[in-house]
Amino acid sequence: MTRRGFAEQVQRRMLSNGAELLVLENHFNPTLALSGSLYGGPLYAPPDRRTIASMTAGELMKGTERRSKLEIAEDLESRGASLSFSSDSSDPVGTDIAGAALSRDADLLLDRLVEILRTPTFPEEELEKEKKRLAGAIRQQQDQTSARAQDAAARRIYPPGHPFHRRTGEERIARLESLTRSDLQTFYGARYAAGTLRLVVVGDVASDAILDGLERRLADWRRGDPPEIPPVPVPEPVPVSETVEMPDKANADVVLATPATLTRPDPLYLACVLANSALGQSSLTSRLGVRVRDTEGLTYGIHSSFHATHVPGPFVVTVTVKPESRDAAVASTLDEISRFVRDGLTPRELADEKSSRIGKFKVDLASNAGIAQAVDTALYYGLGLEYLDRFGTLVSAVTKEEADAAFARMVKPDAFTIVSAGTFEKVKS
Amino acid sequence: MSGPPIPSAAGSAFDFVTETAGIRELRLRSNGLRVLLLENAVAPVVTFAIVYHVGSRNEAVGYTGSTHLLEHLMFKGTPEYSREKGTAIAAVLEAMGARFNATTWFDRTNYYETIPSDQLETAVRLEASRMRGALLRDEDRAPEMTVVRNEFERGENSPFQVLYKDTFAVAFREHPYHHPTIGWRSDIEGVTTARLKEFYDVFYHPNNATAMLIGDFTEPEALAIVERHFGAVPPSPAPIPRVYTVEPPQEGERRFIVRRAGQVAWCALSWRTVEAVHADTHALAVLGNVLGGGLTSRLYQALVENSLALSVTVVPWQLRDPALFSVFAPVRPGVEPSAVEAVIRDEAVRVARDGVTEAEVEKARVQIEAEVIFDRDSTDQIAASLSEAIAVADWEWYAHYPVAIRAVTRADVQRVAAAYFQDDGLTVGTFLPKPTAAVPGAEEDEEDEE
Repeated sequence: MTRRGFAEQVQRRMLSNGAELLVLENHFNPTLALSGSLYGGPLYAPPDRRTIASMTAGELMKGTERRSKLEIAEDLESRGASLSFSSDSSDPVGTDIAGAALSRDADLLLDRLVEILRTPTFPEEELEKEKKRLAGAIRQQQDQTSARAQDAAARRIYPPGHPFHRRTGEERIARLESLTRSDLQTFYGARYAAGTLRLVVVGDVASDAILDGLERRLADWRRGDPPEIPPVPVPEPVPVSETVEMPDKANADVVLATPATLTRPDPLYLACVLANSALGQSSLTSRLGVRVRDTEGLTYGIHSSFHATHVPGPFVVTVTVKPESRDAAVASTLDEISRFVRDGLTPRELADEKSSRIGKFKVDLASNAGIAQAVDTALYYGLGLEYLDRFGTLVSAVTKEEADAAFARMVKPDAFTIVSAGTFEKVKS
Repeated sequence: MSGPPIPSAAGSAFDFVTETAGIRELRLRSNGLRVLLLENAVAPVVTFAIVYHVGSRNEAVGYTGSTHLLEHLMFKGTPEYSREKGTAIAAVLEAMGARFNATTWFDRTNYYETIPSDQLETAVRLEASRMRGALLRDEDRAPEMTVVRNEFERGENSPFQVLYKDTFAVAFREHPYHHPTIGWRSDIEGVTTARLKEFYDVFYHPNNATAMLIGDFTEPEALAIVERHFGAVPPSPAPIPRVYTVEPPQEGERRFIVRRAGQVAWCALSWRTVEAVHADTHALAVLGNVLGGGLTSRLYQALVENSLALSVTVVPWQLRDPALFSVFAPVRPGVEPSAVEAVIRDEAVRVARDGVTEAEVEKARVQIEAEVIFDRDSTDQIAASLSEAIAVADWEWYAHYPVAIRAVTRADVQRVAAAYFQDDGLTVGTFLPKPTAAVPGAEEDEEDEE
């Protein structure tokens, strides 16, 4: 079914209030996947209270004007269907919508989806219960070396108020506890509207029925604010090292991060991604993996990535180590990054990464959920549906010079903030 | 495709065995390799997977974790595929865009790759090459041992993993489910390359493996490829040893505590149950969903909605030999772990005493049936489910699973709850966080520049 182009296969309808609806029929299996988004992310919440965005998304399913949380859950769970709304700092702009159902339950899924989007009530008692649960979940997360290292790195690099800034666990709990129902209602009223809504349905469905059904339910929803994304400054790097001491941890996590200017719509994106694939996308085959894992045996997992959304995020390397091996692993990692920035990709690496990317693209598009997400992502970042059809050509066209230059522009080897979290006090320095 | 006879010249190398639910089983005549085929042209990709019927169940003291360490070394190369030649196994797979990995579990080891369908032959050739040709060099084992040790250390950081490993270690004293698949730390460090090689030579043979192809392929071509690369691999020189250790009945509740630095306590309750092929397996699966399948489930309502636990996970383990029915819950700070344990025990007693409603059973049945249908959305998900099924039972057990689930009644669910939720077969584990305030420098190190 992916033999024909996506642009040709997708049925698309724009409503007059700005909502964009897309359907791709795939009748192989009697299921459907839903992917969607609207601009309800933390970037639109007050800078000192970003958490309002994630709480608003998280509380949407806690009740509507017609149904209680339990009734909604019962309707979905009794059919093996799922629906979720989420928003967090990994994408400051969007609220993610995801769902799945057997195709016989398509109407129910879409009906509840729109009901939840349009008439949530944010019940007080549910909010209080969730605040208690989340406070515990934050404490639980504070016990993870990976979360502590990532949080501390984000705190170092991004100043308070920046959407990627991360407060300490205790500060987050305090802010959580101060949230009120009216905070969520206000944020919902300001951000949840049809103007930035996109819904993509892929699976064993009839396009017209889905489009008509969604249009009927959404056509009279308010348009809301225009889809503007306020600019977010990229801070200067903070090249320091920090240790977060945590007792009784057999494994330590190390994060090496630096602010980058790359966004997902940036024309340099593919060049950067190809370069990063060669450097650190895979623990098994990338340069960092071959050196630090395969040759030196210092880690089970080492991975690098650009955090590129509408907002430019950091370039991050994560590596897990036995505490005694930290310094060796960090030294090897920095050495490989320096060498990579200095010499760039080999022609063989570039060719392999291109074929890998093109192959992975096909593999990722081999499920309803994969296709729905790819369509949503392409449109969310303004790349157009044609992007999915042109992906192979676009990847093939990247030259070594472009990839090397793009990567070197984004990543300065001496600009990393290095944070390790674990039990180091017994390690001889 | 349906039914015998098998078309094409390549087909003559195979015996047709059976076909159910679109899955065809054949056997390579020259060496007994079992091949499962499921055509699914949803996308131009194919998943090729090979399952070896060897897992940590086949290990003993001194070489626990060997199956898993060996799985890691299986990426280090063969005469044909090696880093020295620029054809490292992972690099070859990565370059074709494969989604690939290998995993080890109690009853099996599996290797799989989902690839663009025009790359099938490369994947098959590669798996055939490492079935008998793995180099298993000592110079590769040393650095890979420390990689695996770091994997072990990562697991030790997780209260959930610590509790699950200790639960099995306490609930099973004689059967090899006692030790974790990752192995004991000193065994990971101490096992020799020669011992791993011996393990490989005993278990890695075509007659102890099942190959599966799922996705976009045509049977005659696929069989020709499999025959071309696996046909000449000889069967094992000796019969594959079987595991004969049986865990005797448990005669009394067992309890353990892990005290370690942490923020959140955990409770784990596990009752002894049955092997996957047992007739009660499906009722236990339904019971698992009634207790832990979503927000409306009994334990979610009793624990999370009442602000006693942060979440709850119910696992009706399905293994080749008799296993466990487990409930894991992180305790909300400020709540006594004993309160969470009491609620879980009360719910178990209540189901056994009062039974469940028809609506609960129907919801659980639909959830499980839907999962099976969702599996078919992607070739790698079918491969994963089939791999687990053939490891613990057989693929026909997988094909029959939705039918058996549909047949589960309220009475079945109550009966299995009454039969297995017995205190004498229960193991209770608790993770108790030690206070962390005494750590010198922790706060100071963490200060930021705000």
